[in-house]
Amino acid sequence: MNRIEFMTELAALLQDVPIEERRDAMKFYNDYFDDAGEENERQVVEELESPAKVAATIKADLGSFAREHGEFTETGYTDSRFDHKDMPAGRGEQESSYQYGQNGYGSGSWDGSYDSGGYRGYDSRNDHGGSYGEEGYQGHGYTSDGQTPPRSNSVLKVILIIMLVIVGAPIIIPVGIALIAVVFALGITLLAVFASLVLTSIAIAFAGVCVFIAGLVSLVPQIAVGFALIGTGMILTVIGVVATVASVRICMIVLPGIFRGMVWVLGRPFQRRAVV
Amino acid sequence: MVFNTGAALLDAIVLAVVSREKEGTYGYKITQDVRTTIEVSESTLYPVLRRLQKDECLEVYDRQIDGRNRRYYKITVKGTAQMDLYRTEWKNYSSKINDLFEGGISV
Repeated sequence: MNRIEFMTELAALLQDVPIEERRDAMKFYNDYFDDAGEENERQVVEELESPAKVAATIKADLGSFAREHGEFTETGYTDSRFDHKDMPAGRGEQESSYQYGQNGYGSGSWDGSYDSGGYRGYDSRNDHGGSYGEEGYQGHGYTSDGQTPPRSNSVLKVILIIMLVIVGAPIIIPVGIALIAVVFALGITLLAVFASLVLTSIAIAFAGVCVFIAGLVSLVPQIAVGFALIGTGMILTVIGVVATVASVRICMIVLPGIFRGMVWVLGRPFQRRAVV
Repeated sequence: MVFNTGAALLDAIVLAVVSREKEGTYGYKITQDVRTTIEVSESTLYPVLRRLQKDECLEVYDRQIDGRNRRYYKITVKGTAQMDLYRTEWKNYSSKINDLFEGGISV
């Protein structure tokens, strides 16, 4: 990852913070890269670890500006991110960010000065085993944030879908049946079109053979007509045979596709309903 | 490092670093300076600076350097007061710890 990629990703990850915050952070890291110089670019990117981590650090700190409730102790500051360690992957982000809002800065008052009370929780938290200080800030064990897809209110979604199904059942079921019928009819139509192609070709070939035979028969009374008929018959036969082969080929290519398509289209609503 | 650097101590260290420069100093330099004293990851300091800025302990301004604007951080009056507070607190705190560690059994 180079500087450009890093900054682009960081900007993307900071989409949900106030614009002023985003601008300030981007300015800071942009300056940082500038001042570190091109030769240190790789090293800076490595030390910053990942845009996700930087973004999380910024966001974690933004939360603390709910001053009225915020106690800015070291542990409070770091909690939101390092709770991740204990979280199973996946749900981790959502739950810990919830905790962050509720507990991270839950109690105590922050009046702008760090009296000794400001250190509250420092000792008691220390027995977590890890050192939260500089090492903690580096976010060992920090992995999930930013990478997990947001599992936003899936419960609400399910409820909505169920309601929709209940309310919409009188409409959805007939419409569904109609749709299935339409798809089925379309499939059959396509089948028929191709079948008729094949049949036509065979018929042409057959007609050619018939004309050929007719020509042979009429050779005796009328030689010219006979030859003409034989020639026509041969041409028709060849055209018919070629067309037959070609249309059978086309069918072999197209029909499985049509069947698959039909099965897929018809199967989709059932799959969805199965999920609900 | 065995000991943690809590948020307050980190604030104090950053304030101290910034207050050394009359004209103010900039992000990269602050990071490098802080890192001569304690080990911090590069991503740690931005939130600290931002926080101090919001608390009006630091003020920022942009200065033209090499054809671009570099953001400078400068300590404010409030920041200086805060730094004095930190300094006193730290003196207390560290001397007590020192006494305990080096003064032997006093209890």
